[in-house]
Amino acid sequence: MIRFQDVNKWFGDYRALVDINANVDRGEVVVVCGPSGSGKSTLIRTVNRLEEIRSGAILFEGRNVHAKMSGAELNKLRSRIGFVFQSFNLFPHLSALDNIILSPHRVNGLGRAAARDRAMALLDRVGLANRAHSFPAQLSGGQQQRVAIARALAMEPPAMLFDEPTSALDPEMVGEVLAVIRGLAQDGMTMMCVTHEMSFARDVADRVWFMDAGRILETGTPDAFFGAPQHPRAQRFLSDLRSR
Amino acid sequence: MLQGAISIISENWLLLLVGQYPNGPLGGIAATLMLSVLGIVLAFPLSVLIALARISRWRLLRAPATALVYLVRGVPLLMIIFWVYFLFPLLLGANVPGFATMVCTLVIYEGAFLSEVVRAGIQSLPAGQMDAARALGHSYPRAMRYVILPQALYNMLPAILSQFISTIKETTLGYVINVPELTFAASQINNRLLTKPFEVFLILALTYYVVCFGLTAAATWLERRIATRRAGPGAAPLAIMETAG
Ligand SMILES: Nc1ncnc2c1ncn2[C@@H]1O[C@H](COP(=O)(O)OP(=O)(O)O)[C@@H](O)[C@H]1O
Ligand SMILES: [Mg+2]
Repeated sequence: MIRFQDVNKWFGDYRALVDINANVDRGEVVVVCGPSGSGKSTLIRTVNRLEEIRSGAILFEGRNVHAKMSGAELNKLRSRIGFVFQSFNLFPHLSALDNIILSPHRVNGLGRAAARDRAMALLDRVGLANRAHSFPAQLSGGQQQRVAIARALAMEPPAMLFDEPTSALDPEMVGEVLAVIRGLAQDGMTMMCVTHEMSFARDVADRVWFMDAGRILETGTPDAFFGAPQHPRAQRFLSDLRSR
Repeated sequence: MLQGAISIISENWLLLLVGQYPNGPLGGIAATLMLSVLGIVLAFPLSVLIALARISRWRLLRAPATALVYLVRGVPLLMIIFWVYFLFPLLLGANVPGFATMVCTLVIYEGAFLSEVVRAGIQSLPAGQMDAARALGHSYPRAMRYVILPQALYNMLPAILSQFISTIKETTLGYVINVPELTFAASQINNRLLTKPFEVFLILALTYYVVCFGLTAAATWLERRIATRRAGPGAAPLAIMETAG
């Protein structure tokens, strides 16, 4: 469903992604991990073209996201890929409900009433129906991230990308957000999730990709990767992670 | 002296307030305020367009907008007044009344200055806001309209208000092309009385001061209120309205 083909990405003369070749199948959950600065964010941001690439292709549902296309086509494509940011990025001038309504209404042309019904159902799904009219600044980090997930889901995307969705949260709020993502995985959502939450990865991921210095150095099932990592860098990364 | 001032006011309050109106053109404070309001209200949409052009990725939009802003910011307002005053009638082939000349000047001048405020307001928002909007499938113009500008303009309200205050002070320059605003009215009175310049210009200064001070206080209040609203969890808007209002 998502296929990276010889992807190379440069920031100036820094090579941020090096010959990436990888696949995410429909319904699969891939956890991406690796040290800070290894290119995890860059990798998932290329999937919906928030970052351009220098060479290669990224196919989403068989279509190259980085091919020449009109703005309208790109917007359409993006609306089919849910993206959840580390820092939530809710729109602070809109209530939780309006954050969720905005895009189905304005991008997909869904009527306000229908968009509102869908938004309420989604808020209910992430356990925040009672905070529909709160503004982001009035919500805790965990609540904001759950609204952000609902906002992405409102576009009914067939795939979701998560960039360290719990790294900006206080420890006591991590669980509530991971529970929502777990629920999505159980419903068969295709997902790429950058995270260092090992127990979450073990439960939910079908595969783990380990990145370092712009390369995918190792891929494997969570049990194989966390149990017996092959690459020395992966071994060091995991032992660092465990000793933290 | 106080008595002198009071009697000047009581004899000329109508002139100070509305000029010769309804027997002549609208003048006095009314004209000053109208010039300022028209100037800023018309300059505002222009300033948003200039700001958007300034941050556009197309050079063709960016270059002329940048040039305009630098030009206007590098020239005294009085120069622009003269340019508009002498150039517009030539270009239009018709007489342009002083009031309209002054409005045009203010729109150009305030438009350039406000555009810098708007640009700063847009650029000070976290990049994640645009990213989030684009990731949801919004086009750039839609993202600007529904996500970026509402936040930027809200944050900028105090700055816009203080620009309005500058505008009020700048309308005094209309005097040089005989726009009958407040300063013009005061100078008319002064010319008639001849012996009381101190009283007359004290009244003038106080009037500007009261209007501008009132607006400055409003800007400060607005700024505080916006800061409190951004305070984060627990800062319920209702509670803020009660304490601030
Ligand atoms: N906009 C950018 N301009 C220049 N360098 C960047 C930019 N974004 C990321 N980088 C660099 O690319 C590398 C990978 O960054 P990133 O993908 O954010 O890593 P990760 O998410 O794994 O921590 C880092 O060295 C970072 O400094
Ligand atoms: Mg990152």
